[in-house]
Amino acid sequence: MSAELATADGHLPDAGHDAGHGDHGHVSAENNFLGLPNIKLAMWAFLGSECMFFGSLIGTYFFYHGKSLAGPLPNQVFSIAITSISTFLLLMSSMTMALAVDATRLKRLSSARTYILATAALGATFVGFQVYEFSQFVEEGLKLSTSLFGSTFFVMTGFHGAHVTVGVIWLTMLSIMISNGKLNKERSPITVESAGLYWHFVDIVWIVIFTFVYLLEFIK
Amino acid sequence: MASVADFAQAQAPVYHQERPAKSGLVDWLTTVDHKKIGILYGSAGLFWLLIGGLEALLFRLQLAKPDQDLFIGNQYNGLVTMHATTMVFLAVMPMIAGFSNYFVPLMIGARDVAFPRLNAFSWYTFLFGSLVINASIVFAHFPAGGWTGYAPLSTRAYGNDGMDFWWAGLVLLAISSMVAGVNFVVTILNMRAPGMTLMRVPVLAWMMLVIQFLLAFSFPPVAVGLIFLAFDRTFGAVFYESAMGGDPHLWQHLFWLFGHPEVYVLILPSMGIVSEVLPVFARRPLFGQHAVIFSGVFIGFVGFGVWGHHMFTAGMGPIADAVFAATTAVIAIPTGVKIFNWLGTLWGGKLTFPVPMLFAISFIPMFTIGGLSGVMHANAPLDLQQHDSYFVVAHFHYVLVGGALQGLFSGIYFYFPKITGKMLSEGLGKAHFWLFLLGMNITFWPMHDLGNRGMPRRIFTYPADAGWNFDNMLGTVGVFFMAAGTLLMVYNIFTSMKNGKTAGRDPWDANTLEWMTESPPPAHNFDFTPVVFSERPLFDHKHSEDLAIPVPHEAEQIHMPSYSWKPLVVASGALLVILGLLLLNLAPMLWLISVAGALTVVVGIYQWVTEPV
Amino acid sequence: MAALPLLLAWLAGCSSEPAPRDTHAPVSDNGEISSFFYSLLLYLDAAILAIVVAVWAYALVKFKKQAGDDTLPEQSHGNMKLEVIWTAIPTLIVVAITVPMLVGVFQMSKRHDPNQPVVEVDVTGKQWWWEFDYKSGSAAGLHTANELHLPADTAVTLHMTSADVIHAWWVPRLGGKRDANPGRNYPMSFTAKAPGIYDGQCAELCGSSHALMGTKLVVHPLAAEVEVDYKGQKVKLESYETWVKAQLQPAKPPVAELEKGLKLFKERTCPSCHLINGLEGTDIAARSATSGPNLTHVGSRMAIAANTLVNNPENIAKWISKPSAVKPGSKMPDGLVTPEDAKTIAAFLSSLK
Repeated sequence: MSAELATADGHLPDAGHDAGHGDHGHVSAENNFLGLPNIKLAMWAFLGSECMFFGSLIGTYFFYHGKSLAGPLPNQVFSIAITSISTFLLLMSSMTMALAVDATRLKRLSSARTYILATAALGATFVGFQVYEFSQFVEEGLKLSTSLFGSTFFVMTGFHGAHVTVGVIWLTMLSIMISNGKLNKERSPITVESAGLYWHFVDIVWIVIFTFVYLLEFIK
Repeated sequence: MASVADFAQAQAPVYHQERPAKSGLVDWLTTVDHKKIGILYGSAGLFWLLIGGLEALLFRLQLAKPDQDLFIGNQYNGLVTMHATTMVFLAVMPMIAGFSNYFVPLMIGARDVAFPRLNAFSWYTFLFGSLVINASIVFAHFPAGGWTGYAPLSTRAYGNDGMDFWWAGLVLLAISSMVAGVNFVVTILNMRAPGMTLMRVPVLAWMMLVIQFLLAFSFPPVAVGLIFLAFDRTFGAVFYESAMGGDPHLWQHLFWLFGHPEVYVLILPSMGIVSEVLPVFARRPLFGQHAVIFSGVFIGFVGFGVWGHHMFTAGMGPIADAVFAATTAVIAIPTGVKIFNWLGTLWGGKLTFPVPMLFAISFIPMFTIGGLSGVMHANAPLDLQQHDSYFVVAHFHYVLVGGALQGLFSGIYFYFPKITGKMLSEGLGKAHFWLFLLGMNITFWPMHDLGNRGMPRRIFTYPADAGWNFDNMLGTVGVFFMAAGTLLMVYNIFTSMKNGKTAGRDPWDANTLEWMTESPPPAHNFDFTPVVFSERPLFDHKHSEDLAIPVPHEAEQIHMPSYSWKPLVVASGALLVILGLLLLNLAPMLWLISVAGALTVVVGIYQWVTEPV
Repeated sequence: MAALPLLLAWLAGCSSEPAPRDTHAPVSDNGEISSFFYSLLLYLDAAILAIVVAVWAYALVKFKKQAGDDTLPEQSHGNMKLEVIWTAIPTLIVVAITVPMLVGVFQMSKRHDPNQPVVEVDVTGKQWWWEFDYKSGSAAGLHTANELHLPADTAVTLHMTSADVIHAWWVPRLGGKRDANPGRNYPMSFTAKAPGIYDGQCAELCGSSHALMGTKLVVHPLAAEVEVDYKGQKVKLESYETWVKAQLQPAKPPVAELEKGLKLFKERTCPSCHLINGLEGTDIAARSATSGPNLTHVGSRMAIAANTLVNNPENIAKWISKPSAVKPGSKMPDGLVTPEDAKTIAAFLSSLK
């Protein structure tokens, strides 16, 4: 019998690196059989689950596309100019997010905090644009109960907006934790990177929605 | 050769914890120990199993004879809806979660799951979800739209008030399952003991890995469907409003895209248990372990591509019907492979028949019957006759009772000694087994015939001249046998916990890591680091000369997570968010409850991530 | 083991008489396809089950551990050859049954040749009764409820839809069911072969009275009258055309002693939901989702309340005086007519042959 050991030190994986924010949060070789820290593996699994979630929402939008019995129709309410601005802001937020992750790797926590706050601010602005857009649509006669388009559009983009809002809260928490020393230099790369994964995912979902829901309406 | 007693060679080490453990009720409320959470899940599952059984007993009384009026109309529909909802979501799934929680970390040689507090959060959201669904009977009526909740019968225009509790509870259960899914995927992939390559992971843990993927990826579609339903019922959206162009197929697609993988969530763990129990009592390895594992993985994958076979009568068109019929038929192949490998395990063994083995061997033919009638349903032209008839009722009860539940019973008798340190009574267990097996067949076999005789499911009464009287009477009689058997098991559990024989570490002469440690295992699971050389690590220790007993750890080497209130706080916040939406129909101001809940979640999470573990 | 053949015989429907709603005594081309696959798969499944149970039982007896024998059996981990064999054989079986099944799927969804005479009927499920609107041939324009009359040996296409929730129209002797979806319309084509009277009911949970949403299929001979057996009684069935001709007649004004019934029928607001063709003041019902069955020939139906009660004046009176006592949740309101008035109205309605 030959020993084909995956980890040589013969230690059991310790429990309790839950959410990766404890003082004992060192992610060492004994805790990642696959070579990926728990928290990151969990984020990927979670984002897979989220793909199914947004896949169902976007799928329903297209299942019902063109089947509304009452107006207004998408190309009557969409304002590409305004949505392009908010999309651009969200794209920029992905850049600041990447800069934040970079800064934590370089152990520059205060500049990381600046980038994190910038990301949150861009995200919050995006949500503000969405609130404005929703109120415009309602004014033009498109409500949740108006048509299949109204129901599918508001619920789909609303849940995306809710995800951005969760991201903004998450990032705000991280910046508070950097300020009061709850997030140290050891811990910060993996923690901020996990938030970054989520943020980029939410961003990508928006790119999909902007391309297929908004832009495609005008290619005819 | 080593005996398992040799593992108890040193004083158990004291492990390191940030905050000293609490005791009594506070301990149970704040525990993050996977074993305690497993016990909580399992106990809740058993409790709801009894309630779901009681619901079945009540509506079987109504159906015992034609033209009765014990429970009519939506009283009956409510009982049927709650029986299925309870059995699927509140009995079998938490029992599976119980086994998964208690045994997966032990089997793979870990100290706990990857995220212990997240695990406690899953438990609380499950608990709250189960209470919300059942609160319908206190504050309104039982939901009466069927466990499948087909729109538009579930909408405000046609559904009763109980459906609000139904979607609210199910959303909580969906959150619980998705979170647990992510947690256990990470645990099984990342937390294995040294040497435990994927192919050495015990089959039960493997099946748990497959279903955690299924949970994480199949619950989102139904969550979306439920969100649509909630928006329709509460905010006037028109997703399922046919007058506005809404399509009744939308719900069915979203529901069955979840619902069919869910079926495998219910059965795969029992297949895993059977794959653990048979080798122990046949005293030889599982025949074709890799084939059993790969067929389980294959079933999990293909399970996502067959949901349309629930919709052959819905009018999807012949092309969709043909595709789904063909993919469904394919599932028969890996299922057959599993059955043949279990037979191969028995063949040439030296079989003993204690209670866990009895349930495991009876699983084989009972599940085979359910599987073979499933092959019939995969045949779309034939399914047009069998769909929504009692033939289907017979089919899924053979799979879920003869299969899933018998597997779980086998697991209860097999693992009880590890959980409590006491053996269950063999005599009572055998009585349970025979009563249950008999009752199950008396109830469900005649339902095949009822379906052939054209009896649709979910009807609360039937005319005396339809030719369904005899089979229905049998169906009611059998339930009493099953009820008696199950109550015997509950009695057995309570008495054996006090008076049972002491079990010791390894009462069954078993093969896997969980039997190396004490019964019940200490909080830190293992005093030493198990090192794994094959898929039967304990067997290796017991039967080879050159394997040294591992050296126990020093006290300071083991770090264990501390108790935490935060999972309860965050889960309560989630409950408030849902309750606010649920109650919105009573008074618009009640949305403030949701806001309070959201704030609780945010503050709770901040405290969660900043508290030392 | 000995019980196995007996149990299978139970499912093979080995009795001489088909059950009243037997799914495997088909009277249409579609039903025959379903039934063919049932027989095929029943015997195939029986063979597989017999093999599995035989091996299983033999192993349990043969390989029982003997008392005092504490040695380990041979520690075999599997056998690649066996794995290949028992993966390949089920695969072949699956292919062998899937190919004819796919043929069956397309056969059952075939559309009738438009040059052939086809009877087309719109079937609308409503909580909790069935509406039939004839669209083609001699019966075009005919509206009836709950009892669908069709000619034998003629191509039929039913267009299934619903006015409220999902229903499924199922007459087991005829063949498989199809869902009636609100907002959708799905065709179901078949040819009924044997004249007769066949019971069925809604198969998709549709609310509180789902169990009481019955239907009848009456298959008429094409030409001469025939006598058929229904629940042990001989019933004469006229030809389809004779039935159509009678049904297309407007109702005749009631004879003197039944006039009071018609008057009460109008006074108690029955016409706001129920239409009687040809009687003045009863044709105001707007045909809408909420309207009830057309009653022009209600007296000629075998059953009332969607095949729930035998059609006689006592049952009609019972039904209309307190509908919710017959059908929980019925859309016909309670308390519209007193029990006394109900009898008078029932006598009038029964006369509408």
